[in-house]
Amino acid sequence: MPGFTHLHTVSGFSLRYGASHPERLAERAAERGMDALALTDRDTVAGTVRFAKACAKAGVRPLFGAELAVEPPARVREDDPVRRDRRRTPVRGGAFIDESTPRVTFLARDGARGWADLCRLITAAHTAEALPLLSWDANHADGLTVLLGPASDVGRALAAGRPDRAARLLAPWREVYGDALRLEAVWHGRTGTGPGSLRLAARTVGFAAEQGVRPVLSNAVRYADPGLGPVADVLDAARRLVPIDPAGELDSGAAWLKGSDDMARVAERVVEAAGFRRETAHRLLEQTRATAAECLVDPEDDLGMGSVHFPEPHLVGAGRRTAQRALASRAAAGMVLRGHAGKRAYWERMHHELDIIAHHGFASYFLTVAQVVDDVRDMGIRVAARGSGAGSLVNHLLGIANADPIEHGLLMERFLSKERVVLPDIDIDVESARRLEVYRAIIGRFGEERVATVAMPETYRVRHAVRDVGAALSMDPAEIDRVAKSFPHIRARDARAALAELPELRALAGEQERYGRLWELVEALDALPRGVAMHPCGVLLSDASLLGRTPVVPTSGEGLPMSQFDKDDVEDLGLLKLDVLGVRMQSAMAHAVAEVERATGERIDLDALPPGDPETYRLIRSTETLGCFQIESPGQRDLVGRLQPATFHDLVVDISLFRPGPVAADMVRPFIEARHGRAPVHYPHRDLTEPLKGTYGVVVFHEQIIDIVAVMTGCGRGEADRIRRGLSDPESQGRIKVWFAQHAAANGYDAETIQRTWGIVEAFGSYGFCKAHAVAFAVPTYQSAWLKAHHPAAFYAGLLTHDPGMYPKRLLLADARRRGVPVLPLDVNKSAVAHRIELVSESEGLWGLRLALSDVHGISEAEAERIAQGQPYASLLDFWERARPSRPLAGRLAQVGALDAFGANRRDLQLHLTELHRGARGGGGGQLPLAGGRKTAPAGLPDLSEAEKLSAELGVLSMDASRNLMDDHRTFLDELGVVSARRLREARHGETVLVAGAKAATQTPPIRSGKRVIFSTLDDGTGLVDLAFFDDSHDTCAHTVFHSWLLLVRGVVQRRGPRSLSVVGAAAWNLAELLEVRAEEGLDGVAARLAEPPAQDASAPADGGGSSPARLAGSDGRPAPAGSAARDPMEDRRIRMPTGYEMHPWADLRPAGEGPAVGRKLWHQSPGSAG
Amino acid sequence: MTVLCVRFQLPPESEAALPGLLGLLEEFTPVVEALPPDGALADLRGAERYFGRSAVELASVIRVRALALHGVDCVIGAGPGPMLARVALRDARPGVTCAVPEDAVAEFLADRPVAALPGVGTATSRTLCEYGLDTLGRVAAAPLSTLQRLIGARSGRELHEKASGVDRGRVVPNGVSLPHSRLRSSGGTPILATERPFPLDELDPDRHRRALLSAAEELGARLRALDKVCGTLTLTVRYADRTATTRTRTLREPTAHSAALTRTAYGMYEALGLQRARVRALVLRAESLAPAEQASHQLTFDPVDEKVRRVEEAADRVRAKFGPGAVIPGALAA
Repeated sequence: MPGFTHLHTVSGFSLRYGASHPERLAERAAERGMDALALTDRDTVAGTVRFAKACAKAGVRPLFGAELAVEPPARVREDDPVRRDRRRTPVRGGAFIDESTPRVTFLARDGARGWADLCRLITAAHTAEALPLLSWDANHADGLTVLLGPASDVGRALAAGRPDRAARLLAPWREVYGDALRLEAVWHGRTGTGPGSLRLAARTVGFAAEQGVRPVLSNAVRYADPGLGPVADVLDAARRLVPIDPAGELDSGAAWLKGSDDMARVAERVVEAAGFRRETAHRLLEQTRATAAECLVDPEDDLGMGSVHFPEPHLVGAGRRTAQRALASRAAAGMVLRGHAGKRAYWERMHHELDIIAHHGFASYFLTVAQVVDDVRDMGIRVAARGSGAGSLVNHLLGIANADPIEHGLLMERFLSKERVVLPDIDIDVESARRLEVYRAIIGRFGEERVATVAMPETYRVRHAVRDVGAALSMDPAEIDRVAKSFPHIRARDARAALAELPELRALAGEQERYGRLWELVEALDALPRGVAMHPCGVLLSDASLLGRTPVVPTSGEGLPMSQFDKDDVEDLGLLKLDVLGVRMQSAMAHAVAEVERATGERIDLDALPPGDPETYRLIRSTETLGCFQIESPGQRDLVGRLQPATFHDLVVDISLFRPGPVAADMVRPFIEARHGRAPVHYPHRDLTEPLKGTYGVVVFHEQIIDIVAVMTGCGRGEADRIRRGLSDPESQGRIKVWFAQHAAANGYDAETIQRTWGIVEAFGSYGFCKAHAVAFAVPTYQSAWLKAHHPAAFYAGLLTHDPGMYPKRLLLADARRRGVPVLPLDVNKSAVAHRIELVSESEGLWGLRLALSDVHGISEAEAERIAQGQPYASLLDFWERARPSRPLAGRLAQVGALDAFGANRRDLQLHLTELHRGARGGGGGQLPLAGGRKTAPAGLPDLSEAEKLSAELGVLSMDASRNLMDDHRTFLDELGVVSARRLREARHGETVLVAGAKAATQTPPIRSGKRVIFSTLDDGTGLVDLAFFDDSHDTCAHTVFHSWLLLVRGVVQRRGPRSLSVVGAAAWNLAELLEVRAEEGLDGVAARLAEPPAQDASAPADGGGSSPARLAGSDGRPAPAGSAARDPMEDRRIRMPTGYEMHPWADLRPAGEGPAVGRKLWHQSPGSAG
Repeated sequence: MTVLCVRFQLPPESEAALPGLLGLLEEFTPVVEALPPDGALADLRGAERYFGRSAVELASVIRVRALALHGVDCVIGAGPGPMLARVALRDARPGVTCAVPEDAVAEFLADRPVAALPGVGTATSRTLCEYGLDTLGRVAAAPLSTLQRLIGARSGRELHEKASGVDRGRVVPNGVSLPHSRLRSSGGTPILATERPFPLDELDPDRHRRALLSAAEELGARLRALDKVCGTLTLTVRYADRTATTRTRTLREPTAHSAALTRTAYGMYEALGLQRARVRALVLRAESLAPAEQASHQLTFDPVDEKVRRVEEAADRVRAKFGPGAVIPGALAA
């Protein structure tokens, strides 16, 4: 018997509905002997590309479709007997999600036309205001087959026992779709007459025979395997935002991808129940098969996979010329403009590049990008190219890339060559704050029919999975929150493995059993999409046929058009993607430059800074690079300290070295040694001196590998780049080795040289960094460091306004204080919406940083704007009446001293504000007691104490603006003998010290040894302390480090260079707790606390080590991929790289806890604190 | 040093023992004011002279007798007036009577949190703390006008006096100690409450209504058993996130009639319009209780009302005989 085809199957891309990934569905279909399978996700085709690829792999023919909610036609709506009365707005909890609209399945039938129709229908459905809803007027298409199932209006009428009404509802569908209409019968073993019941299926088949519409059988598949019903229940609950009601209607458990035999039995039962003979079942199956056979959409030809579509040439300034001619003339103009007209090498390079571009026919692409960059620049937005595109001279000549590739030795071949067939990729960086403006400008330039942003599915990871499953299972919200936050940001499927292995989860693992089914369900949700967001940088540019190839939906926040495909999909579909990245640092620098100009009138052109500024490099070498682009992380500060950069090239190398690849391949140490003359510089052969000279014989850049291969084998750089790409694949590596040896020998190199060179190529080949990237990164690095060295106040103003870095704002503020920039408090008469600079001392030319209104907690843009507009204010009353702040906002402003200028103390001001508020509410203008004219009269309330003021600053501004919060604990820290960050610089290598501070950042990056190391940075007011915890201390420290804001750490000083210093932690305590103990019980209490054994040990299960493999083996609860259960769990998940570099499975994850400390959490809640 | 504030450490289910314990206090002085559910104020002005002992010494005698006679421990605060005695009670432990020194009242109060004063509830103390007036000393030091601006003219004046140690209150013998267990007091109004918790987050309106029906039935039955009527009904809906919504409605006439209570409870519930709210418990409280004989009842020409009341009467008698579950509404039987 030929296989059955499921025409109605949803995957996980049906958000919070489907429970299986499209790949899994395709695999199962093949396993169960089916030749074809349809994917009909709800309101989306986002899974199409992954599904098509998986089907190709599994040998199953894919059918494409979607399930849409359809509005009934107007005439039917009018005589709808059920009037829905408006329900009262709930006082709590919100209204039910309305899922009552009928849903219909559409299948693309006629090739590209069918696909275009499907895209159009989905796009139309998403123009509805709330949930996607296809209006009846838009509901027509020639290339689609329509299945009316139990969820359709016709199906519902049948379920209600109203065949007459069903017939009436069927009429408009027949008018539109005629012969392409099918009635879909589904039996899920339910009782009654509702969806999934045998009686409804039978009625549908009978009704179809009576009406002369062809019936089909489907299983309305929601998951690939039996037994996933409970997961579907959780998804239903998460979608409807309600808990699972065990007494209500649960999933039948039958909606899995049943095999042909099962479906044949279903068909028999259905036709029998409909009153036909059992043999007629084959006719139902035959109809289903015929319907599937009609749907012919080819992934390559019809979806456009594998072909490229650029915007039409006339849109990118080519006029009536061809794009190639236009590009050539623009490039030549660029040569003259940039003063290269007299240089022969430049002309040759340009023509060479133009040849390559012409070879691929990519001229429109370059013109498109150039057009976008020109438009952005005309808007006055900072823009810079990044990525391998910077290696192309044509890009430089068109104004896309700033750095001159010939001067920096960048290669076109790394970007594009005749040998490469993939789409080139140019990324441009713009100011993050104005990114959406750029998008709108692009849309304005090319039109909505050619431009769309790219989707980014958000998938379930462990924290969200715990939250959704917990809510579905009616768990206590506080409990859910606690459990979710204890996890690092790992995959959901690793939940139980993490519980068994991670030391910081040991306490939770102890009570694991209490949560019952939670873990199993959490793991089942793994990687299912739970929402769709706009990709932060991708923009699709195409010709006018875009809307026929992808459905476009509006994004939720901005209303920009967004394709339903994600960034990998669009590449497969041959849609041209331009990455427009919003870079906060660009915004920050733009703000700094604007501030300097506003305050001093001096205009800084960042793109024309003098190269090699000594003060800038002095700053970088001092490692006080907080806030500087790319070199502010603890690891980078360490590297900068060891490398001591002095030129732009050093910066380029520094940035390239601090990448997972170079770190993994251990390029850093030999480079540093050679640079400081501690090790001799080796070249494998004198011919290779030229490419390797700049980096002391160490291979750092991709470009160097390309050069080495090209020099040794004489194969040309284009081919050499192809070879380089092949190096990361172990299979092709073997072939390349043979090829390399042959060609190098042919070029007259001796065997030893070849072997030595191959050793280098093999080790570093796939792990170097693209120099073009590094050069593009180093430009803003130098610019930001220059600003920090020359205009520190403006630089910090920019940083605080746009918050570009990895550190919390309060740390930047502490850095500003340390570098002698006066921090001026918030003042409603002086502060602007954004951070500003202000002249503090005329004689010294000292500029201070004035805090911004926008940092006040809960201030709206309009309020900040209004306050800034109305300045200056003469009195509190004046402020209240003209700035019209909300009562809580005014209170917060008073707390942090922004209203101090109006007299009285901060609490008196609060009282006045309350009365003003009451007066305003009562309608009568309240009389404000005034003293001395404009000053506000004191009311005799006690002022905030110093500690309360600091607490208010942390609560309102999330920054300790007046002084560092650690200053208040100085006495206690001195009692403990804690070493401050400043004094730590003099500490000896190997010395055991105590350090303390507020946690600024915590990371568990991948490192060479394959172990998990926790890196943490503490700020103690005098500087930063970088900590490392190795895995022998994790049992006792991990939980404390992840979940405390103030830390006290005992550790050993590690020195690796004059400026490179870190502390290896051995023990950690929550300093906030100790402070409390100190205040309540005195030093003896503290001693008692320190004498306690670390809490983590006590709760560790005695058989912890022995039981974990056993727990893991059975932890899936479902058929595990063969062979995985038997192996050692760590062995299984440790990620092994070809260089022998192993990655710890839990490394490179955002760690547990809530990220760095901000605001309130740093501060104990004092009983008398305001607010 | 003449007023004692006594709190007996009664387990919650034996609040009915309070009248007996009040009798114990009355052996010392006739001026005893009950503070249900478990406390009392006693003015020992005359007793000190009569027994020849100071109030603090008498406190020990009272504790010994309470333990010996009733097996109930107690904590006692002593002060020149009832307010101070109550403040002192906060610091007392069993066996350690805390007494306010008469000549250093202000110092005694200065360090205490504002919430220690009787009559300062959570709302007032939150307001005061917001403005930094977290201790009584600070309240006393703040200008009277400012206090009045903060919490109103009269309460401001009273608070200022109390915080300065001026205790104008006196012990008023109320005699009526409430004879029923489970009858609690809040702010002087007797109330009767019943709670219906759900094991899981419950969204189903039918189950909510069933819970309300059974709660209203129970309240009605208990009220009738006590010969009381209630004037207002309060519905508290507790949600999974530990927040709650409260609605209060005054009944058209004070009643203990289950059908009337149910109707009012349904009305309040419908007005909330809950849909997706995760309800964990429904609490129904009957407030402003008054003796049944003082209640009036509007007669109607509708015989149904009359019949329903007679059915209820009969049902009550059946329950009295065969237990509270003998007769229940049909909706709850399923």
